[in-house]
Amino acid sequence: MIKNYLISAWRNIRKQRFYALLNLLGLSLGLSAALFIMLYLHDELQYDRHHAKHEQIYRVNSHFKIGDMDDRFAIAALPIGPSFKLEFPEVIEMTRLTPAEDLLLRPANRDYYERHIFFADSTVFDIFTHDFINGNPKNALNEPNSIVLSASLANKFFGNQNPVGQLIESGLNKPLKVTAVISDLPLNSHMRYEGLVSMLTISEGNAAEFNSFEPNAFWNIGVYTFVLLNENSSLKALEQKFPAFYDKYMKSLGDQINASFLPDLMPLTDIHLHSDYESDFATGNMAYIYIFGAVGLFMLLLAAINYMNMATARSVKRAREVGIRKVAGAQREQLIAQFFTESFLMVFLSALLATALVNALLPDFNELANKSIPYSAIFEPKLIIGIVIILAFTALLSGSYPAMFLSSFKPVTVLRGSLTSSGKSSHLLRRLLVVFQFAIATMLMIGTFVVHEQLQFLKAKDLGFERENRLVLQLQDTTFRNKLEPFRNAILQNPAISHVSNANGIPGQTTMKLVMQLESEEGWNTQAVMLALTDYDYLNTFGIKLIQGRDFDRNMGTDKQEAAIVNEAFIKQFGWENDPLGKKILIGADSKGEGGRPLKVIGVVADYHFQSLHNPIEPYLITMSENPRHLLTISFQADKSNEVIDFVNQQWDLFASGKPFDYKILDQILAENYEAESRINVIFRISTLFTIFIALIGLLGLSSYVAEQKTKEIGIRKILGASIFNLLRMLFAELGLLIGIAFLIAVPLAWWRIQIWLESSFEYHIDLQPDSFILAGLIAFGAGLLTMSFHLIRVINSNPVEAIKYE
Amino acid sequence: MLFNILWHENRENDVKSNDMIRTEELTKVFRTDEVETTALHQINLEIKPGEFAAIMGPSGCGKSTLLNILGLLDNPSTGKYYFLNHEVSRYSERQRSRFRKENIGFVFQNFNLIDELSVFANVELPLVYQGINPAERRKKVIHVLEQMAIDHRSKHFPLQLSGGQQQRVAVARALVTNPALILADEPTGNLDSVHGTEVMELLKDLNNKGTTIIMVTHSQRDAEYAGRVIRLLDGQVVTENLKQIKKPELAEVLV
Repeated sequence: MIKNYLISAWRNIRKQRFYALLNLLGLSLGLSAALFIMLYLHDELQYDRHHAKHEQIYRVNSHFKIGDMDDRFAIAALPIGPSFKLEFPEVIEMTRLTPAEDLLLRPANRDYYERHIFFADSTVFDIFTHDFINGNPKNALNEPNSIVLSASLANKFFGNQNPVGQLIESGLNKPLKVTAVISDLPLNSHMRYEGLVSMLTISEGNAAEFNSFEPNAFWNIGVYTFVLLNENSSLKALEQKFPAFYDKYMKSLGDQINASFLPDLMPLTDIHLHSDYESDFATGNMAYIYIFGAVGLFMLLLAAINYMNMATARSVKRAREVGIRKVAGAQREQLIAQFFTESFLMVFLSALLATALVNALLPDFNELANKSIPYSAIFEPKLIIGIVIILAFTALLSGSYPAMFLSSFKPVTVLRGSLTSSGKSSHLLRRLLVVFQFAIATMLMIGTFVVHEQLQFLKAKDLGFERENRLVLQLQDTTFRNKLEPFRNAILQNPAISHVSNANGIPGQTTMKLVMQLESEEGWNTQAVMLALTDYDYLNTFGIKLIQGRDFDRNMGTDKQEAAIVNEAFIKQFGWENDPLGKKILIGADSKGEGGRPLKVIGVVADYHFQSLHNPIEPYLITMSENPRHLLTISFQADKSNEVIDFVNQQWDLFASGKPFDYKILDQILAENYEAESRINVIFRISTLFTIFIALIGLLGLSSYVAEQKTKEIGIRKILGASIFNLLRMLFAELGLLIGIAFLIAVPLAWWRIQIWLESSFEYHIDLQPDSFILAGLIAFGAGLLTMSFHLIRVINSNPVEAIKYE
Repeated sequence: MLFNILWHENRENDVKSNDMIRTEELTKVFRTDEVETTALHQINLEIKPGEFAAIMGPSGCGKSTLLNILGLLDNPSTGKYYFLNHEVSRYSERQRSRFRKENIGFVFQNFNLIDELSVFANVELPLVYQGINPAERRKKVIHVLEQMAIDHRSKHFPLQLSGGQQQRVAVARALVTNPALILADEPTGNLDSVHGTEVMELLKDLNNKGTTIIMVTHSQRDAEYAGRVIRLLDGQVVTENLKQIKKPELAEVLV
């Protein structure tokens, strides 16, 4: 029986090659899009799950309330980890990691700045799972000055030889000894280190500070802290102990500075998608997971709709077959089985094509999505189950309507040939499906345009400082920092270079936040404020506008110690609008004003975006650093960038004694802030293209059906004198109406969803304009028209005599 | 106005005569990749205004091809065709369309009504394409529906009508533009004898009022309504006079 079903299904597919081809194309595109999205989502959802104990690993986050600020950080204070282990029996082990910002490593006398080296407690391997190629996890980081390298870093430094035991000179005090090599971390790790240096390397010299349980130490956050919990421990019960923990270790100082603190535990596997904590590495966004999931589902749905649409459209042709089969004794159930066999066969063929397509396009997809998903991921049991479900779902959905509809024909009616059209209800259904498809395609198009517009807006927005023609150098080498003044003077000799400024931060990159006491009528007001430590030329170098008071001045001896410049948001937030100049600030003092470094406000700058546009402009304080810091920014004439880079490079080589010249352009650094959005934009655009394409395939099939249906009517009308224009208008009026309805459905939905996205993701965003919407509508209409024309023009131009021939 | 220029050029070939239709050596050859079929072979024919002519012959003899050419739905391969003294055999589709909608009404065996349009709208269609204003159209449609005694059905759709009623609608549609010529292609072919007679009476009546009618038919009974019978065999006119044909021969041909 099944063989018979298969044979006649195959024959039917072959007999209607054009429709079968369209279906195959649509279904395989829909399926491959769904597969890609599934792989992407799977990869996103697998973040950090390669650690064997991932279900027991949590990160300790810090939640501070200081003054008006309510801040959540991904990092915690040094003693949090050890004290947790001490206080809570649920905590089996803890480990702390902190990035060794751009560490200079010199294996075999070659210099490298490595951006992904972390200091880590030796317990890191008790918590996280790593594949050791060489060395032993038990003791790899037990000694100071030990380093564990990733396989690719080991290869970069030492080629194929076993590096264990090798010494690497570094920017740290002593050479580092390679103790182990681990496999590269999977790309879906939220924290991708390429090397780990034993924490003892930095704690050895200042053990007192590192091991201090003084209240002060608890308020100074700086390390990523992970704990491994007992398998059976209750997270809730543990978190209920935190207030008591706070009282014991932190309250005394907290009360002094009007602040409070609570740790919170975040499951390791939640970090990538759910974290919106400051200082986090997480780049994922659950909202995108939902959006892409929906897009994938939509595409499948559209492809399935195409199938249903074409199958019912062909029903007149199939009706006779149904009649004959029924007369020959087929039960309705058998016919249903017959039609489902066809849809399953079609979906199966499409799935073969789709997997081939995924195989061919996966490298490009990986590059676009910044993933390294292997083709073999498809064969993971979870995905296989998912794929089978998707295929079954698609086949059932595609086959359902044709099976029910076609099998319901009465044999007498269809054999007598009086089934002239496939019924009013199916006609209505087909229209609904076209509307549905175009509504989705239009929504996605609108989304694509708006995302693009928003990105353009971010790129072009006036940030309140000069973003172009600024060169940023990394000064990791502390010995070089001592030669900073002569280096600055040397490069300022070049007339194309106007300003040079050294600081610990640049606009667009978050710097540090400190607790400070602000002068007020009721005494000292405790606040946590972001600040930059700079030199005399910071405002000039970045073109930041001063609106009150003055800039730092080399002629004022006291500026270096006590001058502060604040932004407008600062004086507004803290009620200093009327008279900000001369106001006093104490950094690091308690709420009684004891201790700390006193500052006096000498100037106010116009608000500028010192953070990315994801964030609002907060109060900001600029004060002078006593020592040279790690960033040097050089502003230069617009068209001289190559010349300036060459020149600075030459000077660097003179001063830096062989250290690599490491520079970036400010604009590039700022663009990195929106890398996630750019990537999403690309994926979004491709999904949209796929969707439109699938919708058009559907329309092509439908229009061929309409053409067939209308051939006679067109013939009659031509005989009666209709012009081609008359006919075109008649045929496209309905399509126009359907696309118009789709547009009316798409607009408010798209408007609503996009508005949510803009408002939740960006502090600064475009206002939605009708142009994206209109453009999407026009494209939908134009593409629809073009696709329809493909068949209809042929019919319109055909000889009417053919059309009205005797039946 | 491309049309006007061609009109004048063609006029040089036009011949003044009293005939509504005149063909000279009209030939139609259909070619496929391998086969060449001569559907019509050197047909010479004259139809005077006010005539009622029936074209008869067995299946495949070229009746419909001839009717299509006479109705300006198709061009002949060679030969000349004068319609109202215009040589139209080389007209383009656009020119034929223009000529057709002003001068010819069609009635088909299978009615060829548009199922999605009401009776009224079906009859109105040719007037729409002539660009006549809605008020005028309405008047004309109502008039012709009354004339065909189908006005009570004007809001119905074709599938709600009997075959005879549908054919009356089709005739109404053919008449509504008040054409000089009506071409009927087996108008009773899909009707029972009662309805068939009804339609034939209708055509005869129209002819009595002055409309020229050319009708293709298989039916001897229908042919008897016509004043003249043109008999085709294998694409050629074999005889033109009903009176000369004897019944037995007829029976043979009709098989």
